[in-house]
Amino acid sequence: MKLTLRWLAEFVDLPTSDPAEIAAAFERLGHQVDGYQPLVADFERVVIGQVIAVAAHPNADRLRVCTVDAGDAAGVADIVCGAWNFEADAVVPVALPGARVGELAVVRRTIRTVVSNGMICSERELGLGDDHTGIMVLDADFPEAGERIGADFATLLDMPDVVFDLTITPNRPDCMSVLGLARELGALFRVEVRQPVVTVAEEPPVATTAISIADPVGCPRFVGRELRHVTVGSSPLWIRLRLRAAGIRPINNVVDASNYAMVELGHPTHAFDLDRLGDTVVVRRAAAGERLVTLDDQDRALHEVDMVVADADRPVAIAGVMGGAGTEIGDDSTRILIEAAYWDPPSILVTSRRLGLRSEASARFERGMDPNFCHVAADRVAQLLQQTAGAAVVANRIDVYPLPIDPVVVTLGSDDIERHLGISLGLDTAAELLRRLGCDVAPGDPLVVTVPTRRRDIERTIDLVEEVARLHGFDGIPDRVRTGRGGALPAEERNRRRLRRFMAGAGYYETAALSFIGASDLDALDLPDDDGRRNGIAVVNPLHDGQGVMRTTLLPGLIAAAASNVSHRIDDVALFETGLVFLPGPADLPEQPEHLGFIRVGTVGTDLATPGRPVDVRDATGLWEALAMAMGVTGAAVRQGEAPELHPGRSAEVLVDGDVIGVVGELHPTVADRAGLPGRVVIGEIAMAPLIADRPSWRLEPPSPFPPNIFDLAFEIERTTPVGDLLEAIAAGAGDLFESLRVFDVFTGGPVAAGRRSIAVRLTLRAPDHTLTDHELTPVRRHIVATVVAATGATLRGEV
Amino acid sequence: MEPPATLDQLVADASARIAASPSLGDLRGVEGELLGRGSTIADARAGLRDLGPDERRTMGRLVNQATAVVTEAITARRIELEREETAARLAGDAVDVTLPGRSMVPGTLHVIRQVMDEIVDIFVSLGYTVATGPEAETDWYNFTALNFKPDHPARAETDTLYLDYGDTAEGVLLRTHTSPMQARYMEQHQPPVHLVVPGRVFRRDPLDPTHSPVFHQIEGLAVDSDITFADLKGTLTHFAREFLGPDLTTKFLPHYFPFTEPSAEMHVLYRGAWLELLGCGMVHPAVFEHVGYEPKQVTGFAFGMGADRMAMVRHGVTDIRHLFDPDLRILMQYR
Repeated sequence: MKLTLRWLAEFVDLPTSDPAEIAAAFERLGHQVDGYQPLVADFERVVIGQVIAVAAHPNADRLRVCTVDAGDAAGVADIVCGAWNFEADAVVPVALPGARVGELAVVRRTIRTVVSNGMICSERELGLGDDHTGIMVLDADFPEAGERIGADFATLLDMPDVVFDLTITPNRPDCMSVLGLARELGALFRVEVRQPVVTVAEEPPVATTAISIADPVGCPRFVGRELRHVTVGSSPLWIRLRLRAAGIRPINNVVDASNYAMVELGHPTHAFDLDRLGDTVVVRRAAAGERLVTLDDQDRALHEVDMVVADADRPVAIAGVMGGAGTEIGDDSTRILIEAAYWDPPSILVTSRRLGLRSEASARFERGMDPNFCHVAADRVAQLLQQTAGAAVVANRIDVYPLPIDPVVVTLGSDDIERHLGISLGLDTAAELLRRLGCDVAPGDPLVVTVPTRRRDIERTIDLVEEVARLHGFDGIPDRVRTGRGGALPAEERNRRRLRRFMAGAGYYETAALSFIGASDLDALDLPDDDGRRNGIAVVNPLHDGQGVMRTTLLPGLIAAAASNVSHRIDDVALFETGLVFLPGPADLPEQPEHLGFIRVGTVGTDLATPGRPVDVRDATGLWEALAMAMGVTGAAVRQGEAPELHPGRSAEVLVDGDVIGVVGELHPTVADRAGLPGRVVIGEIAMAPLIADRPSWRLEPPSPFPPNIFDLAFEIERTTPVGDLLEAIAAGAGDLFESLRVFDVFTGGPVAAGRRSIAVRLTLRAPDHTLTDHELTPVRRHIVATVVAATGATLRGEV
Repeated sequence: MEPPATLDQLVADASARIAASPSLGDLRGVEGELLGRGSTIADARAGLRDLGPDERRTMGRLVNQATAVVTEAITARRIELEREETAARLAGDAVDVTLPGRSMVPGTLHVIRQVMDEIVDIFVSLGYTVATGPEAETDWYNFTALNFKPDHPARAETDTLYLDYGDTAEGVLLRTHTSPMQARYMEQHQPPVHLVVPGRVFRRDPLDPTHSPVFHQIEGLAVDSDITFADLKGTLTHFAREFLGPDLTTKFLPHYFPFTEPSAEMHVLYRGAWLELLGCGMVHPAVFEHVGYEPKQVTGFAFGMGADRMAMVRHGVTDIRHLFDPDLRILMQYR
């Protein structure tokens, strides 16, 4: 919403003209000021002159030599002029040598042998409008100009001025006007607001248009004003300048009058050419199949929810949104019907959204106008057209108001203010504040407040509390700090942080990908059709196809992130992300488990002495093992996996207490190649819930003071038998004495049979309460071997 | 005989030889010559048995003294030489410590994460607790329970992302703010409530320097029997000072949100300019009614702020796209 200070001043005498103070006042009232700019003439020393004589130019057919009286000080000057829209006696703006017009410094110059002492200016040259078909002739717009020959032309204009640009919150449609904002400032500054008193001189005959409302819910009130003898043309400069300052392009005097009244008073109106409309107007919902060519020449299909203004047969306007081309005001229109209606806000919203048509009018109607103000708006347009288009206003305003809308009555008790605002403000003070807003307040406790119908945002007590707070000022409310009863992070949140810090400590950088993927992202992972991650939930209205599906996995985001770094010639990349993925579930909402994903390419451990070691699958499994330890998770395990996006021989499932909670490994080389990732790519995705769940705190086990027994065992197992199974069997066989073990040698070939491999393990056993003797260890060893053989089919190679 | 003179001379000579020994090997040779078999001292000691008792006693004392002096000198020299040799060995083992070390270079937490954690911690220190909620949300929690009218423009498909899921008429959407957790939490908990909700939110905005379809918010909610606008002002001013600096000036300007009333925006004077930091307000009675609280018995305030924006303000990020860029040259700066 843009408006000028001079326009505001027509309604309210502000105690300040400092734009910064006025902007601060708007903000205190809750109207965001996006900016304010001085509005000054883009010219200097341009004076009002009068053309005394016009003569032909001796050497140019299209130029004339004008003798101009520029006042007593400047005297008379000859000026060569190319415009033909004036004759002698015309009052014009004249720029003599020494004047500035826009960027141009005006000087005396010779035009085809004739000396020209300056220029007569057009609107466009002076930055006042788009018109450059001729020079400005001031007589019509400024009848007083002829009395002021030689005076500074700028003094005729509303300049200097200040333009404020405000954003009005959607609950305050009553502030989408100069009058509305004048009311706000008046209430804040405690000064009187001049209410618009619009009087029109009516002439016979009586209006004849028959207006009926078939859908009073959609249109509770419709006011019509008939005008005759309208001469369509350009608006006077003062109207055009104000509209331009308000950000609205002037069109012609009829459209401009409607727009002017809207900016000034808030209520949008619409003008129909009565000769093209006929004498019957029906306000109704559109029927199925009806169409209308709107003012923008679009042929639009109407819907049964749309409110329309129709003639006897067909719609002529989409109510409150856009008029129809068929009844548009043209240059030859003379009989006009001004519509000032109150439209049901939800209807307007639905229609304007459905059609993708948002206009100044629809923006106001969809938020809600004042139903009891329609007649003033209609009269204001009529009044303007009397002034600017020579219109005759036909007597007898038509006013169809089948569903009168009455003011709302709300109460406000003294405790309501104190309970919400924390201040004791007497009800007398509150009543005074509310009266300044135009409310009718009956004293008592509670106050009984009758709210003007323009204030659609006030429906219940809390709305009055807000108004009191706003006018009293938030600054008048003290600060108080009190604490709640918590004070610690919940365990899950604490563990989330622990997990992320572990990942960062392990050298991984946290990223934040968008939560969307495209279907092709899953193709790029070579996921089979029956993979669960193919069941992504589609976004109904995505911004583009690449964001058409909610992510079912974090991997596409991580792969893209790593690839982007590699493309920047960053070779060693380690990234992680935690976030929700989205999968269909049985409930009202999708399943939204929180996942940890990571990716690593390049090398680790590069230093002066050691060239970097390329990453491989054991960096993935090692990370998992370390993560599980860091999170204090017992029962973590790894087993061979077969995720389709992973290298088939380097793919692991990770488990907690026997449940698979994720996969880690190396990205399938085909997938990696496709993504532009070189070498082995370490990657993994793990469900976080089992890792971050609150768990009982651990109990200290005092370490045994007795020495350990450390010995080595070597087994031969099938190549396909997981070492993990072997290690598990060893631990199980050792029973309570088991302390730790370490694989120190894995080899094949040599003495080991084909298809088998040798695994050598160093085992540490220890008893809590005594030193182990060889005598008691012999059966333990035997039991370990037996357990391993039974579980894995291994053979003992020997005690190394 | 004049052995004392010989021994005196011997000790004097020995001290010089010992002191002049250049290495531990040399010193061992000298030690043998001075104290070993055939040395003057050894011979003198051996000759003691040929002496009479008085002479033996006198001579014995002298021999013992000489032995002690020589042994002490050798020990002292040995320690000195050992120290020198260690020093020489370690000198050869020196490494230029300004060469890059062998380290596990830690990664970073995302700056949005750091900011969210920090903001959450400020409120936790005020006795608030933390909850998170679903990102795919129902229309009810995202809009209706928060007093958005059925035709509120925020519900439009131009503003809100909807999911093809379920069979309810309203559909499932991507939450447009963290505020749905206000309703979810109040449904599950009785007052008093002191809650913050960090999380990811969505709007149908294309990625550009100032918009992202995905961004992050921190929601706050305090509900009790006697919470007023004064608590809102005091608490949020306290927060702003903890987060941006102790002398920060704040101002509260009226605003509009469907789920709070009165509503406000908190602005702060930060690095010389007023900056809108967050939206806030007193919980609208309609929200209490929707979650089964009695608006006559409780009041509360709520607030919401953009974590991305907070990170941008604090770290001079002028383009939000940098926050969603996985470029390590950016991520490495998040230390």
